[in-house]
Amino acid sequence: MSEPNDTKLMERCSNGDRQAFEMLLARYEKPVFNAAYRMLNSPDDARDVTQTVFLKVYEHLDQYDPKYRFFSWIYRITLNESINWLKKTNRLDALEGDTADSASGPEQEASNQQLSEGMQAALMTISPDYRAVIVLKHLLGCSYQEISEVLEIPEKKVKSRLYTARQLLQQMLTERGLH
Amino acid sequence: MTIDPKYFELIQAEIDGEIDDAGKAELENFLAESEEGRAVYEELETLCRSLDSMPSLNPPSHLRHMLLNQAPVKAPTQPSPNLLQRLFSGPLLGYVGVFAAGVALTLALLDSGQISRGAFDDVTGLVGTLADAGRIAPEHGTISIDKSEVAGTVTLRSTGPLLIVDFDLSARQPVEIVAGYSDKTIWFNGFAQLESTGTSIAAETGAVTVRMDGKRRYAVYLNNPGMRPATIDLRFMANDEVIHEAQLSFSGTE
Repeated sequence: MSEPNDTKLMERCSNGDRQAFEMLLARYEKPVFNAAYRMLNSPDDARDVTQTVFLKVYEHLDQYDPKYRFFSWIYRITLNESINWLKKTNRLDALEGDTADSASGPEQEASNQQLSEGMQAALMTISPDYRAVIVLKHLLGCSYQEISEVLEIPEKKVKSRLYTARQLLQQMLTERGLH
Repeated sequence: MTIDPKYFELIQAEIDGEIDDAGKAELENFLAESEEGRAVYEELETLCRSLDSMPSLNPPSHLRHMLLNQAPVKAPTQPSPNLLQRLFSGPLLGYVGVFAAGVALTLALLDSGQISRGAFDDVTGLVGTLADAGRIAPEHGTISIDKSEVAGTVTLRSTGPLLIVDFDLSARQPVEIVAGYSDKTIWFNGFAQLESTGTSIAAETGAVTVRMDGKRRYAVYLNNPGMRPATIDLRFMANDEVIHEAQLSFSGTE
């Protein structure tokens, strides 16, 4: 038997079905946590934001419009909450390059883990708006149209934002000898 | 030679799997003739591959139970969580957020022979400084609990002679947590929580027992005058049965 889709689960949640909420949680806990982690660069902060996201989903079940896809709603909440968290902790501005220092050095280039850490550090140097498109595209696997839906911006803007974000990342990684 | 911006767009669309047939044909012709174009393509493709291969992390194992415990058992159409739930569930998590929000923090000291008035002052100041707990009171270990009855973490911190057992838990039913310590020179020094109801505490020589329900963040303060190595044995109980046991250790300070 096929798994119920998100809209059905949301309907069931609205009717007090706890199991439906548990299924949504099982489906989205990991992507939400990871999106928050990539936005914030801290597992503890990502945990707190994940809690907030699911509580908001639960609180605002009645505000969910089934004509939109559930994932775009929950990912939008996730990114907004991550950006709010950055504002509250005065980390909204992109970090200067020093956070990526640990990933430099020729012998480190060979290590995938170090490349991944270098990439995360580079991500933290670009603005949250650019970071968000990278997270949606590369971590959550969204298409241009889906990114447009989540961020509520035209597809054309998605493409240009994605392009600029990648250019900035490329530049940062090249400077650090990682690409 | 500069590349026409439309080719950048086509290169990106191709790598992202979002190119149409006409665009694909146009791009192929362009790449066949442009070495610079091929270099741009390869560079972007390499970057995107690296981004795609960034590892995915597993959320903390207790997170799901915490989230389930926070959701009301019977979901009304418009659930309205209380202030504590909002504060604890969001980025304001922690004592600093509560202070910032102007919410009163209850500092409760029990009527116990173990407590001195001087210690009370110390603890009062300390609770305020938990705003930056990681720096001011470094962590010595964290345990996670992930049971259907209760989920969350307990962290042991210290500052000077004070050991701070920091509970961040969410329980679906009343649970009792016993924090035991065999070192008789250690004594119960105080208790702080973020709201005055919902948690009760009893202290005796060698053990502190906390009873709680719902989502709670609180700390138990123990005075370890010799700053000697210490072990805190944690026993979680629900319905009079032990559901989990764990240990936190402080290695001592010279």
